[in-house]
Amino acid sequence: MNLKAIYGDIQASIKNWYRNKAALFWTFAFPILLILIFGEIFSGGNEPYIIYIQDMDNSMASHLFVENMSHINIIKVKLIDSSKNIEEYAKEHAAIQIPKGFQDSIIYGKKCNLTLYLDPSKQEINSAIKSFLISVIGEMNLKISNATEVIGYEEKYVTGNNFNYIDFFIPGIIGMTVMTSAIYGSIEINVKYKKRGLLKKLLTTPMKRSEWIFSKMIYQLIINFLSTIVIILVGMVAFNMKASFNFMVIVIIASASFAFTGMGMIISRFVNEEETADSAASAVNFPMMFLAGTFFPIEMMPHFLQVFAKILPLYYVNEGLRNAMIYHNFHASILNTTIITIFAFIVFLIGSLITDWKEP
Amino acid sequence: MNVIEVKDLRKEYGNVIAVDGISFEVRSKEIFSLLGPNGAGKTTTVEIIEGIRNATEGTVKIFGKSMDAHIKEKIGVLPQEFQSFERLTVRETLIYFSRLYKKCGNIDEIISIVGLKEKENELYKNLSGGQRQRVGVAVSLVGNPELVFLDEPTTGLDPAARRGLWNVIKKLKEDGKTVFLTTHYMEEAEYLSDRVAIMHNGKIISIGSPKELIEKYGEKTRIIISIKDKLIEIETEEDEIPELIEKIRRDGTKYDRIEIKRANLEDVFLKLTGARLK
Repeated sequence: MNLKAIYGDIQASIKNWYRNKAALFWTFAFPILLILIFGEIFSGGNEPYIIYIQDMDNSMASHLFVENMSHINIIKVKLIDSSKNIEEYAKEHAAIQIPKGFQDSIIYGKKCNLTLYLDPSKQEINSAIKSFLISVIGEMNLKISNATEVIGYEEKYVTGNNFNYIDFFIPGIIGMTVMTSAIYGSIEINVKYKKRGLLKKLLTTPMKRSEWIFSKMIYQLIINFLSTIVIILVGMVAFNMKASFNFMVIVIIASASFAFTGMGMIISRFVNEEETADSAASAVNFPMMFLAGTFFPIEMMPHFLQVFAKILPLYYVNEGLRNAMIYHNFHASILNTTIITIFAFIVFLIGSLITDWKEP
Repeated sequence: MNVIEVKDLRKEYGNVIAVDGISFEVRSKEIFSLLGPNGAGKTTTVEIIEGIRNATEGTVKIFGKSMDAHIKEKIGVLPQEFQSFERLTVRETLIYFSRLYKKCGNIDEIISIVGLKEKENELYKNLSGGQRQRVGVAVSLVGNPELVFLDEPTTGLDPAARRGLWNVIKKLKEDGKTVFLTTHYMEEAEYLSDRVAIMHNGKIISIGSPKELIEKYGEKTRIIISIKDKLIEIETEEDEIPELIEKIRRDGTKYDRIEIKRANLEDVFLKLTGARLK
């Protein structure tokens, strides 16, 4: 391997990139603008009121309680399986646990307390949720025992990670930027180099195709790490972001760079004109950007779109980054990374095989 | 000694035959031109020799071997319509390409050869068409090649820029390099080449030095004398022209204009194909 050639190619690519104002805009300014705009819109705590309910009693009475809670329009009830640890869910959104023996207590007129898990840092949301709960409990008490307080609640505070929307959003923006930069970069390099006769020229030099592809990968990786660092810094400075940067983030970004560069190489094979290259890249980028949970959780989408989202590589990049940066769920993060890495290996292999410098 | 040997080269695209079984050799340290109109098969031929395209049939040997990494160290190529990196300077571009070779030429010297000393720190995108072509030629020289391929290097240039590039190409020959040139400009091939292969419809229809081709296929040199409304044409040999003109003067013939018409490669092409070169 000619390291001198690879170093030269990376250096030239970086120079060509930082002298290109449009490239700088899309790599740095665009994601920063998105962070500032979306961060400002959603930093006021306007999230939907999601409440997790864990029904340990599974009785008519407990079902009635769940139904009454669900009837409140601005609350979205999500049920948790009784085998799960409710406190893990409570770190994310408020949660209510219906204890075992709930129905029996009502029948025998014994007071029974629901447990309301709250994050103390979300006072504004907590008071709203408490008022909804009090209203549902009051109504049930009235019907069951003529206003005698049979059903009550106790609060339990969960020391959550106190993450907010921006913490959710930033990993998505990193994933999106890696994807955009790698796909557009790869298509642009392949199509423009071909159009400008640079691929022909390189074919007549001693540089091997594998060395060229390798240098372009490293270049893409450098750009992606630079943009990730800038995005995280902006998130920390402007919105006090709490997401952390760790080894898994590096692995995910590296895998994602390979995966999306490979995708770009495959697309370039079918695009010959510079004008159509951007359209082809956009046709792949935009649906993935909006459907893969970049800006909002995919749970907010209809079921069929959620299924579709899970076949998109960007979904696993976003999930992997969130698991690594926010939830610190490294097992889930490793699983996401494995999926991306396998995908990267397949598309990169296909991309390398079908990228031919030779003319027909 | 032959630097390039092409034998029975054929290239087909479906039913279209782009190159139709051509054979020729390029000798060491000569400027060899492939001359023909657009679509004659020149670029396809040169790109097969350079290893950019595969031949349908036939063989190509460069320095007695098929194209490999070792051969690539000894050749320099300017592909047709080559455009370099927009945002690299002339010097940076040459440094970039020089790193692709084990041995490389002196960048300062190459910049001087192509006459871009004053523009060496200018971004490629800010250069004129002629300067860009010079960068292309310079790029083909960074590996200090023994054999240089220049595919239509002066297409689209104004006459002054073209002349400037011709001088650069002449200098390459003086420096002992073999130059393989493709062009559709007759005067370019005639001015620069030691030998010319004329290509038409995928075939080489004649090959030789410009002088040989003109002598073989061109009409004799003529002196055309216009006297009032009459034109008198006299066929003559080149060395007899001064004496003939002197004789006309001595005779006291009153003429309006004397024109000397020499045959050129355009006439050769017309004679061989029945068509004009352009």
